[in-house]
Amino acid sequence: MKRFTRITALVLAVLMAAFVFAACGKKSDWATVEEKGYFVCGITVYAPMNYFDDDGNLTGFDTEFATAVAEKLGLEAKFQVISWPNKYMELNSGAIDLIWNGFTYGNESDGKSRTEYVDFTYAYLENRQVVITKADRVAELNTAEAFAGKKAVAEGGSSGEGVAVELSGAEENVTTFTSQSAALMELVAGNADFAVIDYQMAKAMVGTGDYAVLAINEAVQPESEVYAIGARKGSDLTAKINEAIKALSEDGTLAELAEKYDLTNDLIPNIGAEA
Amino acid sequence: MGFLDVTQKLFEGFGVSCLLFILTLVFSLPLGLVISFGSMSKFKPLSWIVRTFVWIIRGTPLMLQLFVVFYVPGLLFNIQLFSGDNGRFTAALVAFVINYACYFSEIYRGGIEGIPKGQYEAAEVLGMTAVETFFTVILMQVVKRILAPISNEVITLVKDTSLARVIAVAEIFFVNEMDYLAYGIVWPLFYIAVFFLVFVGALTLFFGWCEKKLSYYRV
Repeated sequence: MKRFTRITALVLAVLMAAFVFAACGKKSDWATVEEKGYFVCGITVYAPMNYFDDDGNLTGFDTEFATAVAEKLGLEAKFQVISWPNKYMELNSGAIDLIWNGFTYGNESDGKSRTEYVDFTYAYLENRQVVITKADRVAELNTAEAFAGKKAVAEGGSSGEGVAVELSGAEENVTTFTSQSAALMELVAGNADFAVIDYQMAKAMVGTGDYAVLAINEAVQPESEVYAIGARKGSDLTAKINEAIKALSEDGTLAELAEKYDLTNDLIPNIGAEA
Repeated sequence: MGFLDVTQKLFEGFGVSCLLFILTLVFSLPLGLVISFGSMSKFKPLSWIVRTFVWIIRGTPLMLQLFVVFYVPGLLFNIQLFSGDNGRFTAALVAFVINYACYFSEIYRGGIEGIPKGQYEAAEVLGMTAVETFFTVILMQVVKRILAPISNEVITLVKDTSLARVIAVAEIFFVNEMDYLAYGIVWPLFYIAVFFLVFVGALTLFFGWCEKKLSYYRV
C-alpha cells in the first residue's frame, strides 16, 4: 500500500509539473503562427467566399484574400472545413487560428455581440442578410408581417438565425443547420417556409442549379452588415493581419479580387486609412 | 457530377473510414487485454481505478469523448496535442482506441473468468508457471469463446467511424455532406449504404470462416 501511495504521488507530481510548464510556455499567437509558418482559417464551403472549382481546387474571394495576406506576412494560409456552430471552440482550442469565411461583424442570435468571443480585424466587405423563399411564394409572402409564425431555417450560430427568429416571432419556429447550404436544401425540400442567409451567398447560388426554385425575397430588407475576420481574444495576430489588409487595399490587390468575384460594389474602399 | 465522380469521391472518404477502423482495431485489441488484466488485478486500488475508468468511458457518449480529446487540451492547457494535417484523424483515433479498448476489456474479462478453475489447478499440479498457464492453456480457449461478441463490436465499429465527422475528419459522411448534401444532392447519401453493406458483408464472412477454423474439439 505504501508503494502504491508513493507511485500515485509521483504520477500526480509529474502531471502537475507538466501543466505548470505548459502554462509558462504560452507564447504569443503571432510567435506561434510564425514558428509553424502558416495560419489555419476555419471555413465552410460556399460561393463566392470559399468553394471548390471544377478541378476540385479550393478557390473564392476569401480563399485568395487569405492567401494574399499570408504571403504579405511571409506565411502560408491553410484552410480547414469546420462545423460552423463549433467555430469558437475550434478557435479557442487552437485547432484553427482565424474565422475567415464571410464572418459577419455583429451579434449572435441571442443578441450577444460577437466581440465577446473574438477580436475582429478591419471589415472588408459589405453584406446583409436576405430572406429566401420559393420563387412561387414571393407574391404571397410580401410583407414583414407575412413571415410571423412561419417556419424558418438558418445556419446555426449565424447572424441570419437572429433575423429569422425576429421575423417568425419565436425561436421554436427556427430550425438551424450546420451550414447555410444545408438550410437552403431544407427549403428546397419544402420543410420550411423561408430561410435567412448571407446576401453574398444568395447572389451566387440562389436561382441556379439545385436552387433554381428559390428566389431572394425583397419584401424584407434586414439591416446591412460587414464581413471581418475573427481572431482569438487578445491575439497579437489581429494587428499583423490588419497591417497586411491595409497594404493589400492600398496596392489595389483587393479591388482586383473583388472584380474577379463580382463584389466590386460591396468592397469597402481604403481599408485602415486614417479618416 | 456523374456516377463515377461520386464513387471516386466517396471512396476517398471511405478510405479514411477504413483506415480509422483498421488502426482502431490494431491498437484497441491488445490494449483491451491490458485493461482487462487491470480490472481483474488482485491489487485492489489498481482494479478500482481501472474499473472506474471503464465505467466513465462506457458511460459517456463517444461523440463527447471525441470533443474532449480534440478540443480540451487546447482549451484548458493551451497545448496543441493534435496539430498538423493529420491532427484531427489522430485525435479521432485516440478517442476510438480508448473507447473500444474498454469494451473489449470487458469481453476479455468475461472470457477469461469463464474458464473453469480446475484447469488452473491442473496446470499448477503439472508445474506450469502462471504466465505459461495463461498463454498455453487459457488464451486460445478464450479466443474461441469471445469470437462472437468481438465480431459484434467490430461490426459496430465500422459504422461508428462516421462519428469522427463531429471533429471534421474527412470520412465518408463528412465528404458527402460537404460535396453533395450541402448542394441539395441527396442520392449519394443512400449510395453510402452500399459501401457499408459490402464491407460488413465481407467481415461477416471472415468471422464465419474464423469460427469454423476454431471449432475443433467440438463434440
